[in-house]
Amino acid sequence: MALIEDILVYGAITGAVYALLALGFTLIYGVAEILNMSHGVLYMLGAYMFVAFSAKFFQLGLLWSSVLAVVFVGFVGIAIYALIHQVIEETLAVLVVTLGATLVVQQLIRMPWAFGGSHVAVLSLLEGNITFLGATILYEQILAFVLSISLFVGVWIFITRSKIGGAMRAVAQDREAAMLMGINTERLYIITMFISAALAGIAGLLIARPVIHPRTWETPLVMSFAIVVLGGLGSIRGSFVGAFIVGYAEIAVVFLIPSGEYLRGAVALAVMVVVLIFRPAGLFGKRMEIEE
Amino acid sequence: MHLIEVENLTKRFGGLTAVDNVSFHVDEGEIVGLIGPNGAGKTTLFSLISGFLKPDSGTVKFKGESITGLEPHEIVNKGISRTFQVVRPFHHLPAIANVMVSCLSPRMKKKLEWLKSPERKALDMLESVGLTEMALEPAENLSHGDLKRLEIARALALEPDLLLLDEPFSGMNPIETDYLTKSIVRMHLDGHTMIIVEHKLQALMKLVRRVIVLHYGEKIAEGSPKEIAANKKVIEVYMGRVT
Amino acid sequence: MVASYFRRAYSSFVTHILDVPARLLAFLFSILLLVIPLANPGLYIMFVLVLAAIFAIFAASWDILAGRTGQLSLGHALFFGIGGYTSAILYKYYMLPLWVTIPIGMLIAFLVAFFVGFPCLRVKGPYLSLVTLAFPLILISIFFMFKDVTGGEMGIYAPSILPIPPYTPYELRLAEFYVSMLLLIVSSIIIYKIASSKTGILFVSILDDELAAKASGINTTKYKLLAFAISALFASLAGGFYVHFLRTAGPSALVLTMSFFPVIMTILGGIGTIYGPLVGAYILTILDQYFLKTVVPIPDELHAAIYTAIVIVLVIAWPRGVGRWCVDKLEDMQEVREEEIEKKIKRKN
Repeated sequence: MALIEDILVYGAITGAVYALLALGFTLIYGVAEILNMSHGVLYMLGAYMFVAFSAKFFQLGLLWSSVLAVVFVGFVGIAIYALIHQVIEETLAVLVVTLGATLVVQQLIRMPWAFGGSHVAVLSLLEGNITFLGATILYEQILAFVLSISLFVGVWIFITRSKIGGAMRAVAQDREAAMLMGINTERLYIITMFISAALAGIAGLLIARPVIHPRTWETPLVMSFAIVVLGGLGSIRGSFVGAFIVGYAEIAVVFLIPSGEYLRGAVALAVMVVVLIFRPAGLFGKRMEIEE
Repeated sequence: MHLIEVENLTKRFGGLTAVDNVSFHVDEGEIVGLIGPNGAGKTTLFSLISGFLKPDSGTVKFKGESITGLEPHEIVNKGISRTFQVVRPFHHLPAIANVMVSCLSPRMKKKLEWLKSPERKALDMLESVGLTEMALEPAENLSHGDLKRLEIARALALEPDLLLLDEPFSGMNPIETDYLTKSIVRMHLDGHTMIIVEHKLQALMKLVRRVIVLHYGEKIAEGSPKEIAANKKVIEVYMGRVT
Repeated sequence: MVASYFRRAYSSFVTHILDVPARLLAFLFSILLLVIPLANPGLYIMFVLVLAAIFAIFAASWDILAGRTGQLSLGHALFFGIGGYTSAILYKYYMLPLWVTIPIGMLIAFLVAFFVGFPCLRVKGPYLSLVTLAFPLILISIFFMFKDVTGGEMGIYAPSILPIPPYTPYELRLAEFYVSMLLLIVSSIIIYKIASSKTGILFVSILDDELAAKASGINTTKYKLLAFAISALFASLAGGFYVHFLRTAGPSALVLTMSFFPVIMTILGGIGTIYGPLVGAYILTILDQYFLKTVVPIPDELHAAIYTAIVIVLVIAWPRGVGRWCVDKLEDMQEVREEEIEKKIKRKN
């Protein structure tokens, strides 16, 4: 039955890209304890900047546009961090700052001199498609899948093998101890933020198509949040597993239920609520029995 | 009937067995000491008795009734109250309100009914630990010694049948230690039953009649302070770190 | 006889209100608001003030949950939307008057709060925020599945509190203004009474240290759910009035951004205080709807970006809330004044 193949294949692609998106969100939380509500808008910005470089304002090649878009988003992430830094002691103020940053970016994109408020078309990265296991897959989607998995693994290796990665893990475990050991936490936060934003931007670049609009950030934000919470805040393994659970659940609903489109976001959230009831700290989160 | 009976209590955290098949009992009116090197499982044992942790196996019986697996607040309302190793005050509330929280528990609501208002009871408790002038100060402004006294006031405000004190002497200077020792003696004379966890063995041994020693979660000795001080196994375990 | 009564009332007034800087400000502000219509400010300004009052109630309801028990809900629009939609749907099918439909909406929100609060009991911090965030979004999806009942994207019509005709638009606006002020004042007083009651103390104990509260014999589950329920009551009240004020109940009452409003307003004003959410709501609503439209005319497109940028600057400058900063400053000034008076007395002796 083509339906099952469709679900299997599309679920995998969705899961892979979501994993990348969730990875960014969980990284900045694990290392800097920042719940970055602007993560969704960074995703969206990746797609918008790709359009800017490849069609709207410049006509650079697809590869250059992609690279520049991701770098741009990385720096926007750092700019947002600069704002967060001012109020980093007050978690609530950080919340307001990231929420505010989201709304500001959304509005700036709406400007007539930017992209305007209506839908914008995004160029395909690759033309063509193949049929695999009975499902029609665009080359673009294969690219997305391969790139996402490679990058995820790449970041994983970076975190577990490199010196900076080790520093990140140290800070994630125990901030004060890390500082006492001489780790420059400020610089680390900035690096992590860049990586986190870049990952979001890449995810947007890969799957936010064929059209985008200024509110495209809402679903990815909710998704990142849901996946990361489901998997356990700060757990990389959790983001990976959670991403595929949510990706498959979403695709299954869209294919199996007639008016499924509306329920996409709701399904991810419902899954998350159910998981949290049984594992209040997420699948791989620390089980907090008591807090003594 | 023993006031509290702990039988074969075991608690594991992943691969680590924090409390290993511990059994003991305490009778009404006793003061019992619970000692052991760091990580021996003393605080875990307290948490198991008071309901903050659920045991993997074993039972706890209080006044003949099984309280294993009950919620912490239910156990408190049955008559067991505890203090914490690291003080846990309510920062935003003034000292009197801190104590009032205990007075607003279902247990105290029943006990106080027409006799006293919760505010009155709270003030009385503050008086008994010598914190009357600090009544309206937000808890975050109190000194460490004051906070320890506040902890005890809150625990006593519940008029418990069994009081669990977790390292009450930690962080205290000699004057405060002396004051606290006298307070505990007074509480004992008032009829309170207590189990005290403490590292400052000198202070503890003067107060208790019976001592239980834990090591790596197991009960390795039980007896009077003299017997424990002479116990070879205990000495080994502490390796001369008796303060 | 009568004179002594007035004297007592006056001295009580002096000690309870005049001497406390925060309350004095609140009192003056309320008086100011109540007499504004006499100055004939026009339909638009009154519109802004009514909206501000609605959001003030909404923000205050969020503060009960977040500022008093520490449950940082990011999905408070759920109750706002339930209040609004229930009222509009009941009107659509049964033509019931709004003083019946809004309380019914509040009752439904109250019951839903227990249902929503339940999964929240087991989770903490960001996990709780996310669980709460999910509910209004799930509700929107459900509403979209039943388009004939809920009107889907377009929403449904909700009648104004007074019919036009026979009343003029100005009379309607005036009525809306005074009703909103009444609702705000009554809500604030009730919330204040709850916050300073024994239940209020237990709420704060849960906020400060839930474990210690349990160790004091408190059934924290019961009180957390209670906070949810009370919070839902006021949020749905605000939502009910909102849809009748704007004449539609639509999905905009349930979206993510609507959940963010009370959060931003309360934090800006000062979380965990009575005045905080009110100050935040008024500042932000007036800033958004009036200041940036009329006083400093900003082109429409730039409007929201500038507004949000200002919010960010405000929260960076006053991370603990503008309202709290003002009150702290006033209390410092009062302390200095009292010290001066004491010194003068000492010198005289």
